[in-house]
Amino acid sequence: MTTIVKNLAAPVDTPPSDVRPPSRTERRRGGYDPQRASVFTYIGVIVFVALLGIPFVWIVLTSLASQQQLSAGVQGLLALDPLWSNFVEAVTRVDFVKFGWNSLVLSTLTAVLTTFSSALVGFGFARLRGRGRNAVFTVLVASMMIPAISTLIPTYIIFARLGMVNTYWPWVLWGLSGTPYLIFLFRQFFTAVPLELEDAAIIDGCGWWRTFAQVFLPLSRPIILTSMLLSFTWTWGDYLAPALLLNRANTTLAVAMSSGYLDPQGNGIITLQAAGALLYLLPVIVIFLFAQKYFIGSAIGSGVKG
Amino acid sequence: MTTTTVPVATSTAAGPFARGRGWRRYRTSTFYFFTAPWTLGFLLLTLAPLLYALVVSFTNFDGISPIWRFVGFRNYIELITNDPLAWAALVRTFGYVAITVPLSVTGGLYLALLVNRRIRARGLVRAVFFVPSVVPVVATAIMWKLIFNRDAGLLNGILEVFGAGPVSWLTDSAFVALVVVSLWGIGGGMIISLAALQDVPVELEEAARIDGAGPWSIIRNVTIPMISPVLYFQVITGVIAALQVLVQPMLLAEGNTLATTALVPQPNRLYMVEVYNEFFVSGRFGYGSAMLWVFFVFILVFTLLLQRVSRRAVFYQSGTDAD
Repeated sequence: MTTIVKNLAAPVDTPPSDVRPPSRTERRRGGYDPQRASVFTYIGVIVFVALLGIPFVWIVLTSLASQQQLSAGVQGLLALDPLWSNFVEAVTRVDFVKFGWNSLVLSTLTAVLTTFSSALVGFGFARLRGRGRNAVFTVLVASMMIPAISTLIPTYIIFARLGMVNTYWPWVLWGLSGTPYLIFLFRQFFTAVPLELEDAAIIDGCGWWRTFAQVFLPLSRPIILTSMLLSFTWTWGDYLAPALLLNRANTTLAVAMSSGYLDPQGNGIITLQAAGALLYLLPVIVIFLFAQKYFIGSAIGSGVKG
Repeated sequence: MTTTTVPVATSTAAGPFARGRGWRRYRTSTFYFFTAPWTLGFLLLTLAPLLYALVVSFTNFDGISPIWRFVGFRNYIELITNDPLAWAALVRTFGYVAITVPLSVTGGLYLALLVNRRIRARGLVRAVFFVPSVVPVVATAIMWKLIFNRDAGLLNGILEVFGAGPVSWLTDSAFVALVVVSLWGIGGGMIISLAALQDVPVELEEAARIDGAGPWSIIRNVTIPMISPVLYFQVITGVIAALQVLVQPMLLAEGNTLATTALVPQPNRLYMVEVYNEFFVSGRFGYGSAMLWVFFVFILVFTLLLQRVSRRAVFYQSGTDAD
């Protein structure tokens, strides 16, 4: 349990303070060093950096290419002659302002609601006692194993019959109910908070609501941030739910992007798709780079070891 | 991380906290109030749709027409006895799971072992490994379609240099493309494995080394058993995710402009693709629901079986109990 708190506070690669990295002389003397990097390590690193990184390089090259360069194949793309106008065309052909705004509103809405609900429920499981708590928690953990798509299609039919298609109500409801994964993260965090704090709040006359809202919630700022970032990027990246539930004229950037940029024959214009996809991807990458430790911390917290 | 929350002394309620006769620290109703958002959400947004699908699976509902009737088990009987497409899709899906899950768990572990070493630019390398797993699926599909494009793609461009003919990666060899795209995201597993690796006590590895174990032997006999619960967790979640793959085949299909499965080439017609097809292309909601339920039960049984197997294969350290 303590690991998650520690890991959220510090980047993962920081060695624990009591284990001093061996000095150069110690290593030369041949002391055991399980983390020593050999030639093979570097070969592996270079191969995989290339394999996993190439798609990024390639999409950047494509997004800056002209149609002629593209038809000249690999050589054409490598002849660097950036065509920045692709980006201008990309944001005008698919109305980036409108669809981007929809994505932003929907993602923010879901992030705020999901985070608040998950914190509330996580607090309930961590700090409160009631009949059937363990049973309900088991159901919560088990529900993470229910395939999401097997519920999405029937959910879509129900929402359609209730007239909620082309509204944001489905996302409000999904947000309000919280997400098992995030509930789990909050529960782990709240469980570790010392009992004395809770006692102090109660002595000061707080009910459970105020204990939660004024004592525990402010403490959980790192988890709140993690939860917001994760749920924001999930909704920003989601394709199926907006494709099923929103009209094409009023959908999210993800859906608009995937079906925009067609020539009159109905074929995709590759250079524009690349430029558009890059712009759509940018917020996610920026969020990731600024908040790497929160993403990584949550992945660690999700492991069975907790 | 223990399941029992806090060693709360309920008796304190009668002690310093006693505020009149009726005061109790814990009330079941308070607990239900706090957890109600999820409980209600689970009942209305997960359980109700599943049960609704169960009811629909016994009808010939087409999604639009108000005239429908119960047809008993006819959908299920047709699915089991007379639907070679669904069976072929099921076999393909198993193939997909059998290829991608082991590869991504071992690949993720390998990457974790790499970045767990003291290498240069470790933060940067780790970011490059991890970022693909946070790229939204729509962008992933576009990125890989650029590479797999028959005429202007990078891969055929490279093959051309070696004199190999162009391959139709997005139609004839679509399955290969799908597997590659899935494996691009192995960084997600890497992060989880990496965290587990950093919890393996150094003394254990050192002891093994003193006993004469080589590096490979240490990894095989000490490291992997120590992190086996985390690997098992990845296998379970990986299998469940891989069984229900739908969006990637849909978006990788060439000329796809709508959220449709009509254009998905045959090699990528996995089970969920066929389910989606029954619903939104053929308009057979009843039949599609039956397919969903068969699959749902299947996944449940599969998960339970895996759990059985894991009892023998997974080593749980005593003392630090897992949740």
